[in-house]
Amino acid sequence: MGSISSVLLLALLGAAVGGVASLLSLGFVWVVHWLNDVFLISPRSRMLFRPADWLMVVTIAVPAVGGLIVGVLHRFIPERRPHSPADVITAVQTRRGRLPARAGILSACSGLVSLGCGASVGQYGPLVHMGASFGSLFARFLQAGRSADNIAIAAGVAAVIATAFNAPLAGIVFAHEVVLRHYALRAFAPVAAAGIMGHVLADAVLERDALFHVAETGVPHVWEFGAFLVIGALGAVVAGAYIHAILGAGRLARRLPVPALVRPAVAGAALGVAALWVPDILGMGQETLRLATIAGAFSGPELVLVLVLKVLATALCIGMGFGGGVFSPALVVGTLFGALCGTVIGLVTDGQGATLAVYAICGMVAVTAPVIGAPITSLLIVFELTGNYVLAMAAMASIALANPIGAQLFGRSLFDIQMRNNGLDLSAGRSRAMLQDLGIAPHLSHHCVVLAPETPLAEAVTRMSHAGHGEGYLVDGGQRYCGTVTLARLTAASEDGAAERPVREYIDPDRPLLPRDASVWDAMGELQQFAGEAIAVVEDTASRRFLGVIYEAALTRAYMEKTEELRREEHGSG
Amino acid sequence: MVRDRRWLRRARWVPGQGVLGAVRACVSGLLLTAMPAEAEEERSITVLSWGGAYEEAQRETWFDPFTEATGIEVRVERYSGGLRELRSEADSEHAPWDVVDLTMSDALAACEEGLIQRLDPGMLRPGPEGTPPRRDFLDGALTECAIAHTVFATVVAYDRTAFPGRRPTAIGDLFDRERFPGPRALQRAPTANLEWALLSYNVPLEELYELLSTRRGLRLAFRRLASLGDAVRWWDAPEEPARLLADGEVVMASGYNGRFFDVMVNEDAPIEILWDAQIREFETWAIPRNAEHPDAARAFIRFATRSDRLAAFARHLPYGPARHSAAEQVTTHATTGIDMRLHIPTHPLNSRRAVRKDESWYASVHDRINERFNAWLAEWKERTAEAASESAE
Repeated sequence: MGSISSVLLLALLGAAVGGVASLLSLGFVWVVHWLNDVFLISPRSRMLFRPADWLMVVTIAVPAVGGLIVGVLHRFIPERRPHSPADVITAVQTRRGRLPARAGILSACSGLVSLGCGASVGQYGPLVHMGASFGSLFARFLQAGRSADNIAIAAGVAAVIATAFNAPLAGIVFAHEVVLRHYALRAFAPVAAAGIMGHVLADAVLERDALFHVAETGVPHVWEFGAFLVIGALGAVVAGAYIHAILGAGRLARRLPVPALVRPAVAGAALGVAALWVPDILGMGQETLRLATIAGAFSGPELVLVLVLKVLATALCIGMGFGGGVFSPALVVGTLFGALCGTVIGLVTDGQGATLAVYAICGMVAVTAPVIGAPITSLLIVFELTGNYVLAMAAMASIALANPIGAQLFGRSLFDIQMRNNGLDLSAGRSRAMLQDLGIAPHLSHHCVVLAPETPLAEAVTRMSHAGHGEGYLVDGGQRYCGTVTLARLTAASEDGAAERPVREYIDPDRPLLPRDASVWDAMGELQQFAGEAIAVVEDTASRRFLGVIYEAALTRAYMEKTEELRREEHGSG
Repeated sequence: MVRDRRWLRRARWVPGQGVLGAVRACVSGLLLTAMPAEAEEERSITVLSWGGAYEEAQRETWFDPFTEATGIEVRVERYSGGLRELRSEADSEHAPWDVVDLTMSDALAACEEGLIQRLDPGMLRPGPEGTPPRRDFLDGALTECAIAHTVFATVVAYDRTAFPGRRPTAIGDLFDRERFPGPRALQRAPTANLEWALLSYNVPLEELYELLSTRRGLRLAFRRLASLGDAVRWWDAPEEPARLLADGEVVMASGYNGRFFDVMVNEDAPIEILWDAQIREFETWAIPRNAEHPDAARAFIRFATRSDRLAAFARHLPYGPARHSAAEQVTTHATTGIDMRLHIPTHPLNSRRAVRKDESWYASVHDRINERFNAWLAEWKERTAEAASESAE
């Protein structure tokens, strides 16, 4: 009974988080659209704006001023950058949870301003972070534990995706596939409840047509599935180029002699200038996405031009510090890439293939799935948004190769690369990442025999024997750690007649040493090298200031506890 | 109550104005029932309207009953839309018309240009159950200078005998010359043609005007129109397309649903309407800035937009009344007795994929888009002439 009521409580938590997160995301999307109309980013508002000469000025000024505001906002975030889905995944995977409210709110504002002012960034990143932050905040409000915190984060994410795409299945799977990275039944109920809330609210508020209309696709020829596979493989390469452009632009930006405060403004102005010639790269690119699925909207060379410019524009905006996601631009890039493939295949086969839209969608998933590391979510998005089984199969053919090739080329996703750069490597699984994240400080012990290096052997033997320890740690007058001695060796030496010699002459060689900020994972690695009681811990390896020791038993206990915790979270059903 | 008190306060502080205002209010109030002395020259007003079956229905349900109620005669002049007439009379002392029947987009543009007067919706009659006009009129029906009276739709109609075994079901069929061969009549104007051309690519309705605002979207639309080649007969006067269709000159035609309905009912012509992608628009009343009899014009608008008058009009022509209370009263056709609810554009069966015309878009881009359309049309003419001479050789 107890576990049933806890399941129900968790589901209620999920529904509550989902409801609010869904409303928040509806508001977010609405404000972005409104800002795009007011600030002349949307094509309609640009068309209606007169006098036309001023449009040029506005096109450059709006992203530049938006960039300045974003730069100022980021000064108030401790890390001086907007938080992203990578931060959410980190919090969940390390079971830290507790997403900060202040960074969450400021990141959402930064996303709003960036998107509203036409930066070439996506809306789903800020949305996911917003939903997750709210979930975490709500869990803290209820004083729930870390597990519930993680589940609330996942519920927020699921609701936001379910609402923004109006695709509840994709939302639920995204939360499991990308954020939780497991499919425990315990988490499924609340996440599903959140996804359903998102769907219901989106249905009630948004009157929106499907993202894609693909009329009468017909069944593709058998050979075309081969083409879809190849598009998948090539799409992974495009995704790799996209990811590396973003990361490279970030590295380049840090080396620029421009203060971080004005970097986004510089990027905004540059984007505005480019948009004077190619307005397609401005903003989230919803119109470009739509047009790319229509044959004849772009010529072949135009597709290449807009594709390359969109990649560069997105890299510039995100690298220089605009707040925003990478998913929506990846959708545009992928669709343009797919349309390009479709155009080429149409030329080669003399129009024997399927409609351009099918190729555009295959290209879209082939690029986006590796970028966000979510093959099943991408497939479900296509399926839910088109309701077309044939199209879903075509998309699956593309995804089949895109994700594994992408993983080989650059990693599981852009988020994983970002996390690795921040010191969290999930490529070897979550338990390792968690042990890497777990510090040794809490396991530090002061119950050990500390000896001055000059102590005579006999005295050392006596002290160690009385204390019941087999090891002693030599610390000089400056608190510097000098080495470890073992009772066995000292006893042997003193029996050999060296009882008056100082202990520093009998230091055990090859003794490991851990700095204070080492992780449990590092400590476990050191343990493999030696057979002893404990490892000495110092402030840092340069000063060697002695802090205490960490016992092998304590490390093993920490490891077992963590593994058990993970096992309960990932495989528990109640 | 609040308003009354405020009026009293104003009357006390500025007595002259208050009294004057009261007198003026009395005069316009009396206009409906008795003729005040100063209205000697207001024995008649002139309405600029569209002619045809539309004008006949207006006369029967609005003009004649108005004359009967007030003694003010209603004279009618005809035009075929646009602002040319209003603009050409803008600087004369008195416009030749007191009331103009404008489409909403023309009304918005005319308001912007100051060609028509501001109209206070407060002058309108409440609904039969006392519903205030602001709630009773449809969303977007009341604007600064114009008051919508009816909803009409631009639709594609087709000759149901022209395509044995099949019939057009979606707007894309208008451009499908393979499955639906034969000449089409389209209006010599960008409106509706551009929307349909772009919708034929299966773009969603709510993105229609965003996409039409992009270079590429517009290019796609013109390309689709061009794909019709020499199969197009361009029409100017609104009665033309129904005539061409009834006479078998074309197999499909764009036009106002009312005109098609007219030949369907009165001539029993084998015409059917393709409701898919109907473009819905408000028809409005407006008063020219320099109208000679503005008070009588206001009295007329107040009379003609009464719920019962709008419902009566919908018994003659399938125009959806612009106010909810009137739409609920729509019954049968005045002469044939058919159920009119099935023929008005606002019926759920017909409005599944209705385009709400983006009036502010047209009001703003009107001239630019016309220019672009005319340039394209000139090019089209050249090309079809070339093709014709080539095929003759």
